[in-house]
Amino acid sequence: MNNSVLVKSFFAEVGSLSRFSGKFLSMFFIPPYEISALFKQCYIIGYKSLPLVGLTGFIMGLVLTMQLRPFMIDYGVESQLPAIVGIAIIREIGPVITALIFAGKIGSSIGAELGSMKVTEQIDAMEVSGTNPFKYLVVSRVLAATFMLPVLAVLSDAISLYGSYLGVNIKGDTSFHFFWTQVFDSLEFRDVLPAFIKTYFFGFAVGIIGCYKGYFSSKGTEGVGKSANSAVVVSSIMIFILDLLAVQITDLLGFN
Amino acid sequence: MTKDFLNNIKLGVFILASLSFLILLFYMIGKNRNFFGSNIKLKSRFENVQGLKSGNNVRYAGIDIGTVEKIEVVNDTVLEVEMIIENKMKKFIRNNSIVSIGTDGLVGNKVVNITSTKQNAPLIKENDILSSRRPVDTDEMLRTFSKTNNDISLIAKNLKKTTSDINKSSGLWKLLNDNAIPESIHSSLSNLHTASEQINKIIKNTNSIVDHIKSGNGPIGTVLYDTAFTQSIKNTLRDINKLSNSAITLSNEAKATVDNINDQLMNGKGTINKLLKDSITAENINISIQNIKKGSDGFNLNMEALKHSLLFRRYFKKIEKENKCKSEN
Repeated sequence: MNNSVLVKSFFAEVGSLSRFSGKFLSMFFIPPYEISALFKQCYIIGYKSLPLVGLTGFIMGLVLTMQLRPFMIDYGVESQLPAIVGIAIIREIGPVITALIFAGKIGSSIGAELGSMKVTEQIDAMEVSGTNPFKYLVVSRVLAATFMLPVLAVLSDAISLYGSYLGVNIKGDTSFHFFWTQVFDSLEFRDVLPAFIKTYFFGFAVGIIGCYKGYFSSKGTEGVGKSANSAVVVSSIMIFILDLLAVQITDLLGFN
Repeated sequence: MTKDFLNNIKLGVFILASLSFLILLFYMIGKNRNFFGSNIKLKSRFENVQGLKSGNNVRYAGIDIGTVEKIEVVNDTVLEVEMIIENKMKKFIRNNSIVSIGTDGLVGNKVVNITSTKQNAPLIKENDILSSRRPVDTDEMLRTFSKTNNDISLIAKNLKKTTSDINKSSGLWKLLNDNAIPESIHSSLSNLHTASEQINKIIKNTNSIVDHIKSGNGPIGTVLYDTAFTQSIKNTLRDINKLSNSAITLSNEAKATVDNINDQLMNGKGTINKLLKDSITAENINISIQNIKKGSDGFNLNMEALKHSLLFRRYFKKIEKENKCKSEN
């Protein structure tokens, strides 16, 4: 009985999330557009996340290189270290790690912000004052998240590659130019394009789930914490599911 | 408002940075895949492409100059490989270049190698079909390797035996360890050196002598090279020949004369014949000689008597005195 309730509530959640997304799409195309709110959110969501994302990206590149080196030496392909790290970063590590960090930072903040607004009935007040709260709060945030995550992911890739360059040079001696040549010689469009496109979906997922969780937060202070927490958890899971989908689709299309 | 403006500037920089990296990324990949810039299309035909794929690199003299565009099956034994080559290589590659399929490293990706030949030929044009070389078959290579390995193991075995024999041989080690040998070899060599110098000198002298002779100087030179001398020798020889001829005639004549005389002596009636052959004459001569002896004895007595005669004694004494004076002096 308990199980059936859980299953039912799960499907109900999926259904209402889909409706929420549909509402977002319809609202997105209907004017008036909240441009200034969008820019403000872009600044907060994108620019303010750069230090965190840059740091994690740098460390990932460095660590991945150092971790891979012994095995590359075992297989006698130490010289291919930049190529393999470059492919790993561009194809998978860069987009996914950035999206997860982004979900942790932005998903929770959106969830908590909208949740507290809901709890303190600011959203209802907005509606009364004549502003469309969905447009002002949700659309701007979701759009900002959708467009900022790819930007962050690309910058994170660049910073990761630099970290990898430093990692290669800890025990080896490779000029930056040679590192650069080796990385780009091994890369192809089919490595970059799917990885770049899937970050839009990651960003959209993080934004929409954070907003949904905040927008439908349960009453009370507890509800705010819960919505922030579940926003991070669900968006993280969603990122992995989307990643799986993305790799299957690129495989089907023959880009892999 | 100013704060918002500042934030927007930051946002703009942030987004542009990301965008520029993305563009750079695409550009670099596109450059490697020859998506930008003008290209030239080349073709080559193979029987077996050994796993070559579109997108593999094309190399000319080891430089990446393009990629494989596509591989088409023309018929059951011919595959056509289409390559995209950088346009700037058009002025270096000649249409008698040879295309072969190789491997990047021992186990790396397949690459197409374009090798130039030494012969001159026109430069490549769009859609030229270059001749190909059969790719190295890995199986065949391994088979050869195994054969070579067997040979090497045999050689190694022989070498091992040889070295152990050398190690065992005490005579060789003695020879190797003897410090005097190098010195004696050294001195022998220096002797050899002096000898060769001497020989050199001798040869030089001989040369000069031969030169001297050749130039016709000296008696040998004259003998060998003077034509006038040869002529006179010829003349002399001819004279000698004549002389000997006349000597033969002379001796023949002398012989005839002697024969004639002999014949006359033996059979003739002359005085000598009589002297030799007639016994009566011989007796007469004998008697005559006895008579002459008797006559000369008588004459001796007469002369002795003459010495002692008064008339002639003085004369004889004078002669005696003169003889005495001569012997004393």
